[in-house]
Amino acid sequence: MSPPVLDPTVLENLRQLTPPGAPDVLKEVLELFLEDVPGRIERLRAAWQGGNAVALQRAAHSLKGSAANIGATALLGVCRQLDELGRSGDLSSAAPLVTALDGEFARVQSEIKTLMT
Amino acid sequence: MPSLRVLVADDERVSRTVVGAMLKKAGYEVSFVSDGDQAWRHLSGPNPPPIALLDWEMPGLAGPDVVQRLRAQEAQAPVYIILLTSRDSSADIVTGLRAGANDYVTKPANEDELVARVNVGARVVELQIALAERVRSLEEALANVKALQTLLPMCAYCKSIRNDQNYWEKVETYFHEHSGVSFSHSYCPTCYERFVKPQLDALEDLTRAQREQKGR
Repeated sequence: MSPPVLDPTVLENLRQLTPPGAPDVLKEVLELFLEDVPGRIERLRAAWQGGNAVALQRAAHSLKGSAANIGATALLGVCRQLDELGRSGDLSSAAPLVTALDGEFARVQSEIKTLMT
Repeated sequence: MPSLRVLVADDERVSRTVVGAMLKKAGYEVSFVSDGDQAWRHLSGPNPPPIALLDWEMPGLAGPDVVQRLRAQEAQAPVYIILLTSRDSSADIVTGLRAGANDYVTKPANEDELVARVNVGARVVELQIALAERVRSLEEALANVKALQTLLPMCAYCKSIRNDQNYWEKVETYFHEHSGVSFSHSYCPTCYERFVKPQLDALEDLTRAQREQKGR
């Protein structure tokens, strides 16, 4: 069995942050994730196409933070590799990672949509 | 005790929201900014929050730069600063602490650890506030002592002292009002010989004379 797209322990911890009577923190965080991440993936892709390692690293770094916060383990792994690649300045091996990023984000997105319905 | 204010500076909304929710749950009053320049404006402005969590990498000034600028400022209200970082190599941590940060937390933040570290900050801040208050009251006391040390106009005969309202007060009253000192009255050996003894002797003579008169 493949590991869960979103770590259930992380999701439960987020749910537990909700103050009594307030809107669900987990729901708020997942919605923010869906709002924010596509734009940053686009920025990462543009940086990669333009050969801008610094911008690619910045985008990967912030995506890494978002992925870690919702327990998106596989997506986090891809972002981490892109972050390191950007830091090294050599983007020649970035293509498969950028493709993997799209794939992992799509999986997280559909998982979140399932969770929220 | 009112809840302490904490500023969270992070350009990444997901992390910021999660960290904020952790702190709110722990009873802190949280405000957010999304880049280093805004963080700098909040922290260097009037009435800054006593605790700040700054992301290491954010647009504008990076977390360590904000800290460095802040620590270079004189007469700055002390802000307890925790850097949020996903860089966990010890060299980076040293850089952050050298820049003047009080502590760091690695991202993604673990709730218990984050809250425990912010609580340490809160204790430091409360201690600083208590110390500042103590210094203030000591300075006030010192000002009173200084007021006593200045030149006092005193009557050469009755030893009364002229107060600020141009009124002649007894030495005892003046000192009691200005420093809280109280006096108990007694006499020194010289004055005993000079004033008290003659009076006692006179009284004794008088009593003896009266007794002799009755006996007659």
